Amino acid sequence: MHTLFLSCLKATELIEKSLHFKLSGKEKLQLKMHTMMCDACSSYEKQSIFLEKGISLSQKADFSEDDLKKLKLVISEKLSDSK
Amino acid sequence: MSLTEWVESYTSDLYSWALHKVSDPEQAKDLVQDTFLAAAEKVQGFKGDSTPKTWLFSILNHKIIDFYRKRVRQPARLDNQVFSTFFDEGGDWKVEKRPSQWSEDESLLDDVEFQGVLKKCMDALPEKWNTCVKLKYLMNKNGEVICQEIDITPTNFWQIIHRAKLQLRNCVEENWFKN
Repeated sequence: MHTLFLSCLKATELIEKSLHFKLSGKEKLQLKMHTMMCDACSSYEKQSIFLEKGISLSQKADFSEDDLKKLKLVISEKLSDSK
Repeated sequence: MSLTEWVESYTSDLYSWALHKVSDPEQAKDLVQDTFLAAAEKVQGFKGDSTPKTWLFSILNHKIIDFYRKRVRQPARLDNQVFSTFFDEGGDWKVEKRPSQWSEDESLLDDVEFQGVLKKCMDALPEKWNTCVKLKYLMNKNGEVICQEIDITPTNFWQIIHRAKLQLRNCVEENWFKN
């Protein structure tokens, strides 16, 4: 097989790599050629980027005053135990 | 100011930061608690070169990095089982696992039900994979820096993410887009 042609397995790996690291020139070209021809991997790429946005939004977390009070209490107790 | 007063004054900020960084309330509480216990041991050496708050935050940040290092260090076999679920021997998509078209609209990300499905699918991942997928957002750093700090090779890191995302994408498709 020509070195520029990737399998879908390899193409999806490069897609994930590209979301965290810089691809080399060759890798970029390989990936571009592949997604141009392959609908499934081109959908995968869009969906993967979409999921990344979802993951980043899912990291917001709130806490209650009550939680905080309890935490302060536990820590104060542990501190006096450790003295 | 005594340590007890620091607990009163800084727990809120420390907890909020830890929670933002590890996105798990119980783990975040443990980290803040460990921070104060470590501070209690080292407080004699605290000369006031920085503010107590800065000092406590630097202890907490070390604990957060340690936390990730341990999680990501958990032995987990990187076998090819996930790949054989999704791809045939030539590396092409298996027909039934081939990504279908989604009508993925940005506004969907605000949909509480969709968020629920995404969360369920994230939680279904092995813990280490789940952590790796979130690290970019939790640490707010790029891949190279993350790998350096938590002591994992870049190749290993994206190979874990690759497996995790294949599974995550499929789970979201099954539970949302095909429903």
